Amino acid sequence: MKLHLPALFLLSTSLPALAAATPPPKAPAKPDSVLLDTMQAELDRAMSSLGTTAQPAAKANPAPPAADGNIKPGPLDDALATLPQPSPRPYFLSYSVADADQISMAASFGALTTSRSGRVRTADVEVRLGSPEQDNTHGDHRNSALATIAMPLTDDRAALARSLWFATNRGYARALDAFLKVKTEQQVRAREEDVSADFSKEPAATAVLPPSPPLDAPAKVRDAWADRLRETSSLFKQFPDVLFNTVNLEASTETDYFVSSEGSRVATPSHVARLIVVARARAADGMDLFRVETFEADTLAHLPDQKTVNDKTLAMAKNLEALRTAPVTEPFNGPAILSGRASAVFFHEVLGHRLEGQRQRGDEEGQTFTKLLGKPILPTFLSVADDPTLSTFEGHPLSGHYSYDDEGQPAHRVDLIKNGVLETFLMSRQPIASFSTSNGHGRAETGHMPTGRQGNLIVTSTKTVTDKQLRQLLIDEAKKQGRPYGLYFEDISSGFAVTNRRSPQAFSVVPLVVYRVFVDGRPDELVRGVSIVGTPQAALNRILATDDHQDIFNGICGAESGQIPVSAVAPAMLVSEIETQRLSQGNNRPPILSPPPADASSKEVR
Amino acid sequence: MALRTRYPKPSVMLAMTLVFGTTYVTQGQRLGNHDTILAAMQAELHREQAGLQLPGMQRPYFLEYRLDDITSYEALANFGALTREVDSHQRFVRVAVRIGSYTADNSSARGEGSVLLAPTDDNPQALRYALWIATDEAYKNALRQLSAKQAALKNFESQSPVHDFAEAKPVTHLEPLRSITIDRGAWKQRIVEASGLYQTDPAVHSFSDKVQFSTANLRAVALNRYLVNSEGTTLRTGYTGYAANISVGGQADDGMRLGRDNGSVAARADELESAAAFHQRAIDDLKSFNDLRNAPLAAADDYHGPVLFSGDASSDVFNRLFVPNVEGDRPDLGTAARTQGAYTSSLHARVLPALLSVTDDPLIATFAGKHLLGAYEVDDEGVAAVPTDVVVAGKLQNFLVGREPIRDFPDSNGHGRAAAGQPPRSHSGVIVFKPVPVSGLPATQKPLSDADMTAHLLALAKEQNRDVYSVETMAGEVPRLLYLTHPDGSRQLVRGAIFDELDNRSLRSSIVAAGGTPYINNALGVIPQTTITPALLFDDIGVKRANDEQGKLPYYPPPPIEK
Repeated sequence: MKLHLPALFLLSTSLPALAAATPPPKAPAKPDSVLLDTMQAELDRAMSSLGTTAQPAAKANPAPPAADGNIKPGPLDDALATLPQPSPRPYFLSYSVADADQISMAASFGALTTSRSGRVRTADVEVRLGSPEQDNTHGDHRNSALATIAMPLTDDRAALARSLWFATNRGYARALDAFLKVKTEQQVRAREEDVSADFSKEPAATAVLPPSPPLDAPAKVRDAWADRLRETSSLFKQFPDVLFNTVNLEASTETDYFVSSEGSRVATPSHVARLIVVARARAADGMDLFRVETFEADTLAHLPDQKTVNDKTLAMAKNLEALRTAPVTEPFNGPAILSGRASAVFFHEVLGHRLEGQRQRGDEEGQTFTKLLGKPILPTFLSVADDPTLSTFEGHPLSGHYSYDDEGQPAHRVDLIKNGVLETFLMSRQPIASFSTSNGHGRAETGHMPTGRQGNLIVTSTKTVTDKQLRQLLIDEAKKQGRPYGLYFEDISSGFAVTNRRSPQAFSVVPLVVYRVFVDGRPDELVRGVSIVGTPQAALNRILATDDHQDIFNGICGAESGQIPVSAVAPAMLVSEIETQRLSQGNNRPPILSPPPADASSKEVR
Repeated sequence: MALRTRYPKPSVMLAMTLVFGTTYVTQGQRLGNHDTILAAMQAELHREQAGLQLPGMQRPYFLEYRLDDITSYEALANFGALTREVDSHQRFVRVAVRIGSYTADNSSARGEGSVLLAPTDDNPQALRYALWIATDEAYKNALRQLSAKQAALKNFESQSPVHDFAEAKPVTHLEPLRSITIDRGAWKQRIVEASGLYQTDPAVHSFSDKVQFSTANLRAVALNRYLVNSEGTTLRTGYTGYAANISVGGQADDGMRLGRDNGSVAARADELESAAAFHQRAIDDLKSFNDLRNAPLAAADDYHGPVLFSGDASSDVFNRLFVPNVEGDRPDLGTAARTQGAYTSSLHARVLPALLSVTDDPLIATFAGKHLLGAYEVDDEGVAAVPTDVVVAGKLQNFLVGREPIRDFPDSNGHGRAAAGQPPRSHSGVIVFKPVPVSGLPATQKPLSDADMTAHLLALAKEQNRDVYSVETMAGEVPRLLYLTHPDGSRQLVRGAIFDELDNRSLRSSIVAAGGTPYINNALGVIPQTTITPALLFDDIGVKRANDEQGKLPYYPPPPIEK
């Protein structure tokens, strides 16, 4: 069942930590005011209680809560001054509750292997002690602010409140422990390179949006989908060399409720439906080959019809069989075209991850682009923005869409690179030397601390040619470099980006479908076993031109703050030089026996 | 911690009902005529047996296909509200391939074979696809393992005379399919109610603000297991298990974390405790938690002397210190040991006092009118369960073994058992510890009642002129309910103690009396198991104060209870 997909840009094929039994209650037509009100009340109670109880040191704390129960951040040094007295007051507290309804089912070789559905409600409590300049999240202690707890599925005020109290206590204890460590470490260590604060100041947001619509997947709908998955997965039986396949359907609808001691009060919906077809084959020399096809929509009903899915699946299976017998690539260093989809993945991995704000601070981070702000890092004809406010692109749904991020900040379009020049980074509320505020990109999976992440990464070009011209440019460039061929990367799946200082600044996206495009006019030739190597900045600077239309990649991206849906949009591009090597993947022989016969086992046990 | 159930007053000591499997087999065979799963498994097994061989390499001498079909349901409530409800149905196929011979093969301590997710649909061809891929992988891995093992064995001077795999006669045994038959709605309501009693019940209302967690959950599992092997065995077995649990706790005023965590476990849904009993359990646990909160700390100075373990507490002690050591696991390659664990060289030696005998008998299907979780007729390697005398009057006579032999035990005694998707291991089924008349005393000596055991403890207290201890339930290795017992019979609950020197040596030489009231510990672990134990009186166990760090008390009070 392993997909061998590396950690970043991972297509998730299972829903995390989930699966309940009862048909979930219909989502309320209005935001869940009982939940939101209870969160608010319990948050206020925690803020007016913590650090002010009648403990010996509490009297020394000069910042008691205001009489009306509203909390204003006290003087920054209060908590520090009172340490190690027992109970410093949090300067920030937030409750974030994700109320999600999900279904997941999968089929393989014509039969269902998994079917789960259910509802979960999870609270993330964030506690910050000290001051925004330096708090318990400093350095390696970022996760110390977070406590996660499963919440009642019903609107039972008492149980909701008690659960939040329990998690807040646990979170407070954890934050306190980390805060003391931070204090000690700061006294011991040399001055940090980046002395920016630990938490940005932001205006409070109040936006209670309508809840996410119900999943609308009654038994009848699920049964119909189960039949569709069975049918699609059974197509692979026509291809005896396909060893493994899975057709996976995932749909979720989620409303996130957020309240904070700064006065934020946000409810924000999200919903997605996704169909993922994965197949794997093995070449005679043991090389494992796989292909992935994904279909994405906002709801189940909007996924493509069965014929479209089956046609794409058949094409993919045929391609996989062709790949099995394709010649193995040779080490190559020369020009290549990345298709729009391949470019999108490439930009997400190679550029997008390195533009995440938190990568610009911290002793362990690579800080590839930290010092390049205001400088050209791409050819002048390319610009890159991240725009989570877009729900579609040219009519196609975008997975990375959201209205408010996971720190309750409104989503913004951010121009990361304008005409080749680096303008800014993807910012959460964790400041860096060059930027002190969030730009609405603080994202996290439930149970993780938000960090700067991509939403919809959009690459645009002003130096465009038609696909035909781009191909000719490739051939011309190959000739110029004295190469017999250039490469065309049609599909790239996944990879990992290593950005910390101890590892080489390398990236490795996994090309799935690559052709040789010969200069002498021979037909293109499919090759297998190609992997890209090289340094990221170099590759980015070698883009010569792009085609004239953008392609979309929707997927699930995994990093420190968990798995989140993202999109990347880019045109095809010609790169003057790309270095590839042979992929060393797998050395097991193909199966000894052929697949089981079709008229299987009608005999019964005697 | 093991879930367990207590039967208050079993009328007859160790009253065992043996139910033999004839009715099952008859019914099973009828059902088996329509078993497309077994048919598909056999068809693929025969195909692979005929063709699975790489040129120039050995073919398997043994192939086994197992399909585990697991249905489970869990509902969990906290503070009076449902927080989780999970329904799951999964199937795994596990393929074991052995290359070489029964004498020496590729097998290792890790267990051989490969596991794949199998279709939950009854689709024979899709199932065969999964078996096909898993077999191919298992065979290639087995070839690699065999050569690695043969190379490793060259490093050792002497070769073990113990075979790698025991031969077994083919068995056909088909049991009816099992399914979860619990009233989910009713139990959901019960756990929701029970987890909220801390704030609604007048009996516990006074300390509801001290309750930091209050959880109730229900688990139900049904496993159907299908097995075919190249020796001709065809099996379909299964079990159901149910557990309803309460967990409440918080802290004493000095910060010590305290809690109660227990429940009712049964093999049949209708044998779980009643709604009223479950409700009462929640109340009792809350009260007990409060008693613990208010209990004094155990004495700061060490104690060495008599401790009376209730059946509940002794079952935990045996499950931790004794049972794993009589499950015969193959020793490391190249060593001359008989098995792993504390009793590797203890065969025929004293491991318990002469007043105890131990039998593992998976054929005991019911006890005191209730079904036992650990019972089975045929084990997970296709070997019929054999009642096995493990200890006779204190001396170790037999290990529990499956088909991987250990020295002096060349054949399986039907104790090869497997967790879902895992390779089989030697494992106990229904293990019964029972007192035997001590020589020198009249053979007609009556079993000791609970009162007799307490009297015995008090006699020691008087004799030694000091306070002694009795323990009623354990939390892992730590006593949960420990009573300082005065010579006059009055007793005081204490908290914050741990046992010292409670080990295999004290099992052998410190037990001076065993009670006559059997306690049944049904454990719904990955391999269901039943341990039946008497109360035990030890004459010399250490009790000392635990020096655990005491957590901070809550930093602010819980939300006020709406009345």
